[in-house]
Amino acid sequence: MASPFGAQTQQAGLNIVVLDPAHGGTDPGARGTGGIRESEIVLDFAIQVRRALELQGFQVVQTRQGNEDPSFDDRSATANAQRGAVFVTLHISSTGLPGTARVYVNSDLPPVADSNGLIPWDRAQVPFLGLSKKFGDLVQGFLFQRFKGSPEAAQTASVRQLRTTAAPAIAVEISSVTVENRADLDRMAPGVADAIARGVAAFKPSYVVASTSGAPR
Amino acid sequence: MTPHWKFWVIGGLLVAVLAAAIYFPILRRRVKRAARLQQQSEEQARRELAQPIAINPGDPRVKTKLFWASDTIDSTLVPVTVELPLSSDPVVRSKQVLNTLLAGPVDTELRTLPPDALLLAFYLLPDGTAIADFSEALATSVPSGIVSEQLAVNSIARTLEANVPQVQRLKILIHGQEMETLAGHLDLTGAFVVNTKAAQAPVKPASTP
Repeated sequence: MASPFGAQTQQAGLNIVVLDPAHGGTDPGARGTGGIRESEIVLDFAIQVRRALELQGFQVVQTRQGNEDPSFDDRSATANAQRGAVFVTLHISSTGLPGTARVYVNSDLPPVADSNGLIPWDRAQVPFLGLSKKFGDLVQGFLFQRFKGSPEAAQTASVRQLRTTAAPAIAVEISSVTVENRADLDRMAPGVADAIARGVAAFKPSYVVASTSGAPR
Repeated sequence: MTPHWKFWVIGGLLVAVLAAAIYFPILRRRVKRAARLQQQSEEQARRELAQPIAINPGDPRVKTKLFWASDTIDSTLVPVTVELPLSSDPVVRSKQVLNTLLAGPVDTELRTLPPDALLLAFYLLPDGTAIADFSEALATSVPSGIVSEQLAVNSIARTLEANVPQVQRLKILIHGQEMETLAGHLDLTGAFVVNTKAAQAPVKPASTP
């Protein structure tokens, strides 16, 4: 319990990026006919994204390092324990135009009605929706420049992982596991990493969040 | 122990091995056939339980918008208008349009929902929240991913929005159970806003499809 978002806000610098390679363990995520597993590829993507972010001077925290499968809440807890952080969850889709990348931010959620300034864990994303949209649009803009056919602006979707994350949070989904050759996806990794790192750097000046002294309940 | 006794033991064993060699393939075929019959009867029972609401030819034929995938723009939905005799009862009407949506378009590449998915039950609460209970195939056969799962849910929500104005929100159950996600990504714990204007008090946590 306890996260007094509200009245007083202060400038909190953006220093940390929480990277979430989705799935893992017994959950392989999307699977291609050629044996491509989403859980493995996102882990490889995370290595490159991490490198690009560290070159920009950001500290990177990963929700998983190997073939584990933390729960949605555990992944959010990793992000919610940081101060001055953004959250990026990495996915590979089963469908969509191969060679494109989409950024998603959480759909609108009902406002938090609690009058005591606390936000419930299951709607921890609510105070950050505006910032998430701004962050998502920036990253999507860089992906659009790199990968023809990608949208120009971030999309909204009811992504489970984002809902419980108390930070500007986006999901990046690369198309797709249906490529004939895994190398087609591997070739996208440097471009995706660069776009995310540039997006985070561009977002940094506008990172002003409500002061928080605890985790969401 | 006499050689005569040994002869009978070995002979008996040989007869037993021979009988087993003949009988085992027969037994295997019988077990396989029994399993196949059981599977067929389970599938039959499931389909009978989820018998689609029959279209009543006496109902007025109305232009019905069904949302399937676009064949020109990647990962988007387009409405396809067909004329169907639809009931004026919102629950029956919802079942009719959803079963037509599940049946899929002529071009199967444009499906948004798995061909083996079934609508098991549909309820409409007084506050305009629809509860649609689908068979497990909706979760297990839909391609895993944000874009594909969202396309599936949006096709349901937008088809209801276009044809059943009484539906304001949509709660999706899988085989009678609330699921955390559809196939690992899209949040099913809340209700989706179907009719944005009418849904003034969304339930937790609502999402705009």
